[in-house]
Amino acid sequence: MEPVFTMASWAALCLGGFFYVIGAVGLNRMPDLFTRMHAVSVSDTLGVGLLTLGMAIHSGASLITVKLLIVVLVLWTTGAVASHALARAALHDGEKPVLVGADGRLTPTDCVTLFPELGPRLAQPLSSEAVETGADQGDPAAATWIPGRSRSGDTNATASAAAEMGMAAMRINMLGALGLMKMFRIGTMSSARSRGRTRDRGSR
Amino acid sequence: MMFAVAILAVLAALALAVVRALAGPTAFDRLLAVNSIGTSAIMLLALFGFLTDRPEFLDIGITYVLLNMIGTLAVLKFFRYGALGHAQDPERDEALR
Repeated sequence: MEPVFTMASWAALCLGGFFYVIGAVGLNRMPDLFTRMHAVSVSDTLGVGLLTLGMAIHSGASLITVKLLIVVLVLWTTGAVASHALARAALHDGEKPVLVGADGRLTPTDCVTLFPELGPRLAQPLSSEAVETGADQGDPAAATWIPGRSRSGDTNATASAAAEMGMAAMRINMLGALGLMKMFRIGTMSSARSRGRTRDRGSR
Repeated sequence: MMFAVAILAVLAALALAVVRALAGPTAFDRLLAVNSIGTSAIMLLALFGFLTDRPEFLDIGITYVLLNMIGTLAVLKFFRYGALGHAQDPERDEALR
């Protein structure tokens, strides 16, 4: 590989790693959910993009570059979608952004007081289905969405269910890790153990 | 060598995201951190493939990306309808029950 390409690859990988760590540091240092999302978006777009660019320069024009392109395009699109869904759900759940108050200190502020036009939109429930079924049962808690309170009236229902989904995602990740370990051990995912081992030894 | 540097950076970011996932005061913080962990895992897979000169690890990376996408769609549906098992149409939902 030409020295120019090597240097470009080096620079992209180092910059990408730098922005990736910056985003993760922001995830821990920022005061509230919305600023944390802002920090993570740095590593999810610029960090991932630069790291992938570094790898793409390294591999040159090949099938691997196409695969890298697929990975980065899917990551960019789903990242934006996930951020939007997360922010929307958090606002509906009554999450208060931490802003500089009148006394110059950081205080959790209800965003309806800042943007009154948000009020009616936040007063609507996320689920149209819930309105219909709630009206049928004559349950006032189900018919009107109150920020900070989920549909069932139980404050933690949405939160605990979201935590369960996080656990499910972690379990999927764990399965992936086990598959990866198998791949390391025997060189392939599908072949018998003995055959894989000899192949792995031979390749090193 | 350069891939090792990038892997170290991604590992550091992964550790910080785990800290936030454990400490996060709300479920949304945890969800954000878990999403970040997933992205880090994908980058780690790709970089490790290049480090060991076996870029076929990228195929596993693509699988992970698609899993992440399905997870995102599941989260979207969950927050939209409050449950994963419901159909969009209430009447059809009753029929399924």
